Amino acid sequence: MKNKYLFPLILFLLAVVLPFIVPEFWVHVLTEILIMGLFAASFNMIFGYMGQLTFGHAAYYGVGAYTTGLLMVKANVPLLLCLPLSMLSAGLCAAVLGYFCVKLRGIYFAILTMAFGQLVYYIIFQWYSFTGGDNGLQGIVPPDFLGRAANPYYFFTLIVVAIGMIALWIISASPFGYTMRAIRDNAERTEFIGINVQRYMHLNFIIAAMFAGLAGALWGPFNRSVAPDLCSWQHSGMPVFMTVMGGPFNFLGPLIGSAIYTMLMAFVTSFTEYWPMVSGIVIILVVLIMPGGLLGLLGDKLPFLRQNEHSTKETNG
Amino acid sequence: MDITSLFTQFLSGLTYGTILFLVAAGLSLIFGVMNILNFAHAALWLMGAYFSYTFWSWMQGNSFAFWLSIPLAGLAAAAVGWVMEVVLIKRIYKRELYEQLLITYCIALIISDTIKLTWGVTNKLIVRPEMIRKPVFIFGAPLDSYFIFVILAGAAVAIGLWWFLKYTRYGHIVKAAVYSREMVGALGIPIPRIDTWVFTLGIFLAGFAGGIQAPIGSITLGMDTAIIIQAFCVVVIGGFGSLLGTLVGSLIVGEVFSFTILFWPEGAMVLIFVITAAILIVRPWGLFGTPMRT
Repeated sequence: MKNKYLFPLILFLLAVVLPFIVPEFWVHVLTEILIMGLFAASFNMIFGYMGQLTFGHAAYYGVGAYTTGLLMVKANVPLLLCLPLSMLSAGLCAAVLGYFCVKLRGIYFAILTMAFGQLVYYIIFQWYSFTGGDNGLQGIVPPDFLGRAANPYYFFTLIVVAIGMIALWIISASPFGYTMRAIRDNAERTEFIGINVQRYMHLNFIIAAMFAGLAGALWGPFNRSVAPDLCSWQHSGMPVFMTVMGGPFNFLGPLIGSAIYTMLMAFVTSFTEYWPMVSGIVIILVVLIMPGGLLGLLGDKLPFLRQNEHSTKETNG
Repeated sequence: MDITSLFTQFLSGLTYGTILFLVAAGLSLIFGVMNILNFAHAALWLMGAYFSYTFWSWMQGNSFAFWLSIPLAGLAAAAVGWVMEVVLIKRIYKRELYEQLLITYCIALIISDTIKLTWGVTNKLIVRPEMIRKPVFIFGAPLDSYFIFVILAGAAVAIGLWWFLKYTRYGHIVKAAVYSREMVGALGIPIPRIDTWVFTLGIFLAGFAGGIQAPIGSITLGMDTAIIIQAFCVVVIGGFGSLLGTLVGSLIVGEVFSFTILFWPEGAMVLIFVITAAILIVRPWGLFGTPMRT
């Protein structure tokens, strides 16, 4: 039982110590890892725990990013207030769009989430007067108490992401989380024991979108700007990549995947512009050679990484 | 808004719809038979456009260069598609949905970068022969004379595919495989070989569509990312695996886009996604598809 907290604790300590050792460039990379890690973990609430593939999760990330961006640029709202508001707006979007998504399963779920994602993308892209269209929004800066250096914003991100991850962990380990697993493993039987599957899925969709919105809210001040590309279907592919790399059947898998993916990207893009090709080859190899992701592979060898739940693959029908 | 300009808009929608049909027909065929949603389809379409540019520049000066490069582009893309199927796609038919999507998505990334490596980042332009440089007038509405060829080629492909599916033995096998792969296999027909050829045919159509697209404007990197999603919309609206559905779906998307852009330019793409989402919610199997067996 004690082992369960060992691995996250090691990761957290590593995250606290690393920025003092590595050069500033890598502190930025670490910040990105955390933000994308939270994004991927929120995606995995739908993918790993609910068994549905969403290809439009970036829409909620983007809505969160734009909520914070707009509030900060146009209304000077403090960042700490923007974060919950971003969660709220992303959650509201998901409440509307998710209502329809959860009626579908499998490939139809994937395509509908993608269609809604593109819908959000084009609305933001075309609405020049409000969102700045394809110019995006510039001049989103972290609040004064964090200064302009890399480290303070990194630690701010670390705290927010840690709180977000703990919240997601509590949700996934709650009866609600186990209901989601039941729905993943067999939706029909879950329905038979009197659970309103669609309502539970809808709720989970909203929760996942809220945390994606939180991750998005952190992105604007980090990057100093937001752009419509944050909502595009290509960006929706990122959490899929990360989760598959890290391992969808482990709670920390998406975060680990984000670390691998982001570091690999930072490393590869430093000497070639052909990052998409490299990432494509890497992910094809991951899918073909280690379908459980890195943590799935290591989990077989190192017991302390393994979660105490049985993490079998979803069964069809 | 007079009738002539509406007719012009109709013709441009028809052209756009034809291009979408050529891309989506292969996509729908591949999904129908193998249940694989091929993200790499538009990347191969773009590669077809570049192939057509290369063949055209090799044969430059010949009067037939322009016309010959289009089917050759289809064949070259089909060769790439064949390799792709045999090396990678074959391994993932029995895998999970997300693995299939990821693999084809990654192939799309690899192909896009291969295009960038092979043809560079500068835009490519195919110079049209004299006879199709001037617009023609149909009921007073000006139409790019090449568009007539595009529409005719699309119609020819639609009729050809329809004939293939309805009257040939292989067409019957493909149609049966859309309905039940297991049953077709049980009858002693080698499903893996059918898969390979259906995939290759689908990619041939993509490459051919790329060849047709090439002379319309200049060929640029990244053209594929927008069209793949629209092709998905077409297939969703029409119904996976249905040729008629794909035809109707692409005409709907083409015309809706073309007319909305006239009255409400910002909303053109938005409306297409609204229609797609509405179809998915009300009739997930599309207008002409049949409910999926799971």
